Amino acid sequence: MELKYGRENHSADVLVIGGGIGGLTAAVSIKEKYPELNVLIVEKQTTGYSGKANKGGGVLQYFDLKRIKPEDFVAYHVNTIGCFLGDQDLMATYVSMNNHMFDKLVEWGAKIPKREDGSYAVIPTGPMTAIIGVDLDITLKMRQTAEKMGVKILDKISITDLLTSDGKIAGAVGFSLLNGKFYTFNAGAVVLATGSQNFRIGPMWSSGRGDGIAAAYRAGAEMRNAEFGNFAQLVKVRSHEEVVYGENAMYNKMDVHVTKNFRTGPEPDISSTAIEEWYRQMSSNMGPITLKIERPSGGGLSGMWDRPYGQKFWQLNSEAADKVDTDMEVCPMLIGEQSPVKTDHSMMTTIPGLYAVGDVSYCGSAAPGAVPAPPGRNRGSGILNAVFAGIMCSESAAETAKKAELLAIDDKQLDALAERLYAPLSREKGVKAKDVVRYVQKAVGPMEQSVYMNKYRMEIALRYIDIAKGLVPKLQADDFHELLNCHEAEAAVLSAEMLFKAALLRKESRGWFLREDYPETDNKNWLKWIIVKKQGDNMILTTEDVPYEKWAVKPDL
Amino acid sequence: MIDTNHKILFDAAKCVGCKLCYKACFVDVIRWDDKERKPVFKYVEDCEHCFYCASVCKKDCITVIPDYSSEKLLQTFDRYL
Repeated sequence: MELKYGRENHSADVLVIGGGIGGLTAAVSIKEKYPELNVLIVEKQTTGYSGKANKGGGVLQYFDLKRIKPEDFVAYHVNTIGCFLGDQDLMATYVSMNNHMFDKLVEWGAKIPKREDGSYAVIPTGPMTAIIGVDLDITLKMRQTAEKMGVKILDKISITDLLTSDGKIAGAVGFSLLNGKFYTFNAGAVVLATGSQNFRIGPMWSSGRGDGIAAAYRAGAEMRNAEFGNFAQLVKVRSHEEVVYGENAMYNKMDVHVTKNFRTGPEPDISSTAIEEWYRQMSSNMGPITLKIERPSGGGLSGMWDRPYGQKFWQLNSEAADKVDTDMEVCPMLIGEQSPVKTDHSMMTTIPGLYAVGDVSYCGSAAPGAVPAPPGRNRGSGILNAVFAGIMCSESAAETAKKAELLAIDDKQLDALAERLYAPLSREKGVKAKDVVRYVQKAVGPMEQSVYMNKYRMEIALRYIDIAKGLVPKLQADDFHELLNCHEAEAAVLSAEMLFKAALLRKESRGWFLREDYPETDNKNWLKWIIVKKQGDNMILTTEDVPYEKWAVKPDL
Repeated sequence: MIDTNHKILFDAAKCVGCKLCYKACFVDVIRWDDKERKPVFKYVEDCEHCFYCASVCKKDCITVIPDYSSEKLLQTFDRYL
């Protein structure tokens, strides 16, 4: 097939897709142990600046492992957050590696504030957990470390599809945002580190556009816990600035305190039951809802830590919000954080040789259970989950790459993928990506459709998704930026479809997941994971029993 | 978000061409003019007002002015549609 914008081929032992904290950790960890391997990061924006760690980040979850045993945290987490859907072994490993991860991050250049006596400047958030600040140049430092180790980096290239050969991973294809050139990558192992799906609603969370989820799904990878892709947060209604830890201080228009005890204990923040209560109050004309909390003075927690790189960033954000905020009226905003790519403990997906780390696979890994991706109701867990997964995949990905022969790529497969990739540019007329995204947002945005759900309202949402699906074959782009928007719009449609189809199937409420029509947790029938997979042109949903018998913390049956 | 009305002001006279704003943009709003060695704010409609470009600019050339009211919160109640 002749390609209008040219073509470039690359090969690597390990191809890492995504240059945020998860991808960088995977690349650095692999290169550290196996310097002889050729590791390549491909990023659609700029590695070191992209992703969430350097914007929504700024804190790391800390466990004092001299005081807390990993199994103690697991027991607490299973009972209050994960609600028996989590993989307790994987969660225990995450906790036990906490202090090691701090040491590695410091070694890789992250600036983690310390006290005068040399100890980390930890702030407890409850009996189990604590947080420490980290400066926002963490990903830039990681990029510098990666480059020093010999990791190759290609920026401004968006990966649209994965290549497989005989059911194994063989590489990926994508295009340059700058000149449209078609890129093909052959690789022995591929690490997907492309973030979660956030449906382009929350501004700061917008880097997660689910294109990696969609590529994995199309290649045949299984998804797990797709229904837990409905994270929401209270925001101030004028600036849309998030307010954390505020859900116990919600007051209605009659000045009645409506949410006294929605935070169960000091550690987990925003609870979906607070969102349910917001919806009830609004529906019964008792809104608007206002928070009565003291705004921390002097920058609050941020004043505890010296983080010079991020200072101007935070200052500009809060100054802009302060200009428009006149009170503390709040409403929930859907963030999403769908992270369903299913993995095993080495972060390998169900496609041999394909790994998924960070926010693309948080729920898919099953580590957290019944809660959406980081923060997963525990602040500071996002960066460390990505670092954890990046380290966990390194050994297996390197071994796979060492053994792999670069597989021949079938020309027919390449031609079909190239045609799919450029299709929106070949249409003279059609619909714009934003029009498709808007239908998806109408489905996922309203809290009563995506967070406080019932069958009737989810079916309304699915009707919007059907409209959006019908528009996908008409997506039209005039340049490469719009082409990217088209692929991201298609990914948003797919994510929303699996979110609602899985949510309709789960006929119970559990953890974050709330159904008005099935308010009880059903341990008899629903200690199950929902698996979503592509079969031909159909989305197939099946269930898999959670093997809770083999774990220490057992559910009440 | 989409269909927003954010604005970005740029003082080209102060710009030294360090390219950091271009790199900092995580949503491809900013492109780079190699000839002029200056940023081009090409896709402002996709700006997420993260202020990263303005915060890395050593010469304070960039002012991001978000129009929050043009962002939809998509809730069913009239005041948040």
